[in-house]
Amino acid sequence: MILEVTDLRKVFRGDFVAVDGVSFAVPVGGSLAIVGESGSGKTTCARLVAGLERATSGTIRLGDDGTPRARVVQMVFQDPYQSLDRRQTVAACLDEVLAFHTGLDRAERRRRIGELLELVGLDQRHAGVLPRQLSGGQRQRVAIARALAPSPRLLILDEAVAALDVSIQAQILNLLVDARAATGVGYLFVTHDLSVVRHVCDDVVVMRRGRIVESGSVEQVLGAPSADYTKKLVGSIPRPGWVPVRGGTRG
Amino acid sequence: MTAFLEFDHLRVDVPTPMGPRPVLRSVNLAIAAGEAVGLVGESGSGKSLTARSVLGLLPGGATIAGAVRFRGTDIGTLDAAGLRRLRSREVAMVFQDPRATVNPVRTIGDFLTEVLRERGMSRSAALALAGGILADIGVDDVPRRLKQRPYELSGGLLQRVVIAAALAGEPALILADEPTTALDVTTQEEVVAILDEQRRQRGTALLFISHDLELATAVCDRIAVMYAGEIVEILPAKSLHEEARHPYTKALLRARPGSVPPGERLQIVPGTPQSGIEAPPGCVFADRCPVVEADCRTTVPLLVGGVACHLEVP
Repeated sequence: MILEVTDLRKVFRGDFVAVDGVSFAVPVGGSLAIVGESGSGKTTCARLVAGLERATSGTIRLGDDGTPRARVVQMVFQDPYQSLDRRQTVAACLDEVLAFHTGLDRAERRRRIGELLELVGLDQRHAGVLPRQLSGGQRQRVAIARALAPSPRLLILDEAVAALDVSIQAQILNLLVDARAATGVGYLFVTHDLSVVRHVCDDVVVMRRGRIVESGSVEQVLGAPSADYTKKLVGSIPRPGWVPVRGGTRG
Repeated sequence: MTAFLEFDHLRVDVPTPMGPRPVLRSVNLAIAAGEAVGLVGESGSGKSLTARSVLGLLPGGATIAGAVRFRGTDIGTLDAAGLRRLRSREVAMVFQDPRATVNPVRTIGDFLTEVLRERGMSRSAALALAGGILADIGVDDVPRRLKQRPYELSGGLLQRVVIAAALAGEPALILADEPTTALDVTTQEEVVAILDEQRRQRGTALLFISHDLELATAVCDRIAVMYAGEIVEILPAKSLHEEARHPYTKALLRARPGSVPPGERLQIVPGTPQSGIEAPPGCVFADRCPVVEADCRTTVPLLVGGVACHLEVP
């Protein structure tokens, strides 16, 4: 396992329980989705794994003990407009990460930047430009290249394709499938979009109000959901022939 | 016969550093009374601007050519009083973010009755009407909700309040601009179901803007696909999947992750979505089209038989 989370709990400001006794694992090179609606605690789980929040209790085991966390796990956020430094060129952005996390010399770093750009479908022309000269899809490619730069073994993608137009989303999803095949990196995919889960993930955890309501293989959980909440979630995805129905009164 | 709502060669130019540039190039669309039309496309395609043009809500400095006609009246010829009447009585708009729509310091009851009171209805009658609509669309504990303020309500509930406000004015047309994009998927189902049901009961026409083809298909009679400031295809919602002919519509349908078996590669369109400002002079989709021909780059295809494509001439 590259990631093993056991009985994770996070309480904010004394009384709000965001994550309540959650356990899941990602095998080496595996791909796990955490799905749920807003307020389900899925993003808090991701931030705990990335070390951006400290757990109230529970354990997170990441890869081999002793390897610095940043070389095991990296994160891609939803909005590439906010996650990139707007005054830093693409090459400088990647070089900074490589210089900090790897022992590569300048020439080796340049070669690696070329490799990374190629991996995410960009080329040398993009190396010298600033984020504002790139489209949203290209920026998200840069954010993915930056996350892959220290050769992490797990990538956390927090709604990483949610803000993209459909045709761009398709490009990035293909890229994620390719990058996983090429580098063996595992994914922890936080999303509300179940069709994205079907496309890029092996396993899925369904969360609601801080707890896991159902987990298992994507085929099993989304194909034949057993929990009522998962059934409702799967049933509310617009698809050919879908007719929206009112589910009664909900506050 | 005059159409209920008609976009007639609508062109909107906005000022840029290089001079005026078109964000809408030539939009042609007619909507019948009581009909629901879905306007779908990616960012920059001009779908929001098309809807806003009905209310005369265009960006500063914009110039219009062609016309938008509502019940035969060119919106561009309306004076301030006429526009006010149109906006408050005949056409209602539902925006994406309910928190940006509802006045945060007034109560839900104030928000819902504002238009009714302006028409001279008494406060108690207006509150009774608004409360009735809230109950109709599945909001519980109505008397308490009417006294609450927006921050006390969830996003899904608040968007239902916005829809109730739109319905309360008994408009002939509702413009809904991505009304459920900010909502969770189960809430989205509830909200579009309510919108669909109430619209049908009241015979209200709907212009439904969405980036989600399947969602638009579920609540609309016809789908108009926009790209770079033009409608490139119009077809019945029921036959969208079988009868899509424009290369862009086909590309949109195939780009969704659900369109292929898991693990298979998605068919992608190279490049990024363009706005009317950036699109090429001939066919707006020529730069990204997988089957582009020389003719496409020089000649603008006309929207004939529901599709604007040189390769689809009957």
